Amino acid sequence: MSSEEGFDFPSDAWTAAFKDAVNGNERYREAGKPWIHGAVAMVVSADPALGLEHDMGMILDVDQGVCRGTSLVKGMDAVAETPFVIVAPYARWRQVIEGELDPIKGMMEGKLKLTQGNLPIMIRYVESSRELVTSAAHVPTRFRG
Amino acid sequence: MEPSIVLAPGASESGLCSMLATLIRQTLDEDAIKKKVVGRMIGRIAIVAPDLDQSLTLLFEGGRVELYAGIVGIPDITVRANAEWIMKMSLIETTPRLHLPDPRGKVAREVFGASRAGEIEVHASPASVPLLLRFTHLMSVV
Repeated sequence: MSSEEGFDFPSDAWTAAFKDAVNGNERYREAGKPWIHGAVAMVVSADPALGLEHDMGMILDVDQGVCRGTSLVKGMDAVAETPFVIVAPYARWRQVIEGELDPIKGMMEGKLKLTQGNLPIMIRYVESSRELVTSAAHVPTRFRG
Repeated sequence: MEPSIVLAPGASESGLCSMLATLIRQTLDEDAIKKKVVGRMIGRIAIVAPDLDQSLTLLFEGGRVELYAGIVGIPDITVRANAEWIMKMSLIETTPRLHLPDPRGKVAREVFGASRAGEIEVHASPASVPLLLRFTHLMSVV
């Protein structure tokens, strides 16, 4: 599939495009410079109705404003070693990607949950966290359902 | 005595309550001074976030903190601000020794400006000022 049509979310191709989007986000490059706290995983909760039989995690190996690599993994066990894990249902991630939901506000509303990681650090680097997640808005995306 | 942070029945349904409980727990885990501070806090603090359509009450009982969804009892302090400002209040720079808000700090100046503009409302009696200052110290993540 061409990027004009959009990458299926979630998929390996989408996750790879996300890396490019993060590295292409100048505001993230700046805001993320002090970030030395390790990888962040964005996990889409399983939703058999959408064909997602397992939780799907996109792990972003971020360091000092650069995304060094990404991987798409299956199941929560696969993100057990990831320092920061944010979990949300498919519909919430869709809202984030479409720019309808600010990820930080979403966490305060309980729509996105930090299930692993140090919240004070996440808040200390709130702009970095926000820019990292909202970089997804720059990925041409084809949604399920 | 180790501080205890508990959610009142039903409070786990509130994203704001859960998030603040986690924030306070993790902050205390890594800061022995803040453990002492929370041990000296007694009173009720209400936080109202109109844009989230959520409010909560923190009941401080000298080392025990209970979080309630909604306004419960008569608060000693009420903070009313949108989510963005509530988050920023955790980023207020504090002075090294007394841990008072540092008026020279970038975020502190933004927050003071928002207070003057009415975007942040803090209602507290003079007697509650020590509780407010301790709360600022407790919630600061910088």
